[in-house]
Amino acid sequence: MRTTARIRRTAQGSGGSVEAGAQRDADLARLIRAVAGGDRVALRGLYEATAPKLLGILLRILRDQGAAEDALQEVFVRVWQRADSYDPGSGAAFAWLAAIARHRAIDGVRQRKAARLDAPDEGWLERLADDRDGEADLARRDALARCLDAVDGPQRDCLVLAYCEGWSREELAARHDRPVNTIKTWLRRGLTSLRGCLEGA
Amino acid sequence: MSGDAGAPPFWAEDPDGAAGEYVLGTLDAAERAAFARALERDAALRAAVAAWEARLAPLAAAAPAVAPDPRVWAAVEARIAGRPEAGEGGDIGGARILRLERGLRRWRLAAGAAAALAAGLALWIAAGPRPAGETAQYLAVVDRGGGLPALIVRVDLAGGSVQVRSLAAETPPDHSLELWYVGAGAAPRSLGLVGAAEGRLTLPAALRTGLEGASLAVSVEPKGGSPTGAPTGPVVYSGKLVRE
Repeated sequence: MRTTARIRRTAQGSGGSVEAGAQRDADLARLIRAVAGGDRVALRGLYEATAPKLLGILLRILRDQGAAEDALQEVFVRVWQRADSYDPGSGAAFAWLAAIARHRAIDGVRQRKAARLDAPDEGWLERLADDRDGEADLARRDALARCLDAVDGPQRDCLVLAYCEGWSREELAARHDRPVNTIKTWLRRGLTSLRGCLEGA
Repeated sequence: MSGDAGAPPFWAEDPDGAAGEYVLGTLDAAERAAFARALERDAALRAAVAAWEARLAPLAAAAPAVAPDPRVWAAVEARIAGRPEAGEGGDIGGARILRLERGLRRWRLAAGAAAALAAGLALWIAAGPRPAGETAQYLAVVDRGGGLPALIVRVDLAGGSVQVRSLAAETPPDHSLELWYVGAGAAPRSLGLVGAAEGRLTLPAALRTGLEGASLAVSVEPKGGSPTGAPTGPVVYSGKLVRE
């Protein structure tokens, strides 16, 4: 698997993380297509290339190592079963993988209904702007960082904590001491201004 | 019940905002379920969701990477192959126990969370009375990273029974643990549910000729067991049966 080998080298080359860029996404897309054809070696390659990042995503939402690793297992079984539903035309490969992981994590965290005891991570936007550790296309990331910055503070806070850590409307309402309907309005407005900014870019 | 009759769906007014909230994960449970169903038949909603996924993905990528335990890949591989990963060998000796997959995972017994799965689980598989002139005893120990043994299973080949004694196994709420027999190259066969205390399961007749090369696996299933006859949830424990 030449593609697998390249991704491994890339991963090593940047000290355990993986390089950003369209080339990498094209590699992932190729692996997903091979997985759709029943290639287990390709699944292994995809796992090696993306599992640490996906586990990071799962862990931030589920907040439990065991639960996150179980979810990671589910994610890759699902990728194996559903790789043929990946449409390269509809979006980037990493976004597709991240979406599978995030939906799994959101479903898990809603089901567990565990109380949110830990403080939010304040470093999301800094890391987003830090280009050394990204899966995403550089231009897309810069645009998102800039456009998130332009969103009203409280709306941005809700968007980021919901997306990155799986906060529910109720949890955000408690955090901001506002009614749930206000949070819903903030989320919708935040999304609208984010989209407007990204599409204007 | 299609749910399509009557009032327009909640997303009718602002489909793109609803798609964004679906991606954020902030729809409430009923909205989320209804939206997910609608996605299956509405290409425009799917496109809106894909667009939001693409817009926000760089933020997901900002999560710090965490190296998964090797056990995760082993479990994935076991499930896509339809059989559990064979464990490591050795160490059988006088202890009559082959400890598999030991030390692969250091469970973090995080405050209450996932405590059910965090409990160490061990399976001892021992054959019943040894038929004269033939070795027909198999055993395995499977645990989850060296935790306390939680379950003892005794397989009596001659009598065709599987005796299960639970020591410290905890089943996740609203789920069942299901024990699977996995012959080489064959689909897993359910041996039954792992109950709270002591129970006796029947060894399917087809398996009574021997357990050579087979493995055991325990998966987390919906309450009452797998609805499909094959493991559907995570395989949380597995180990290879060895002839004594």
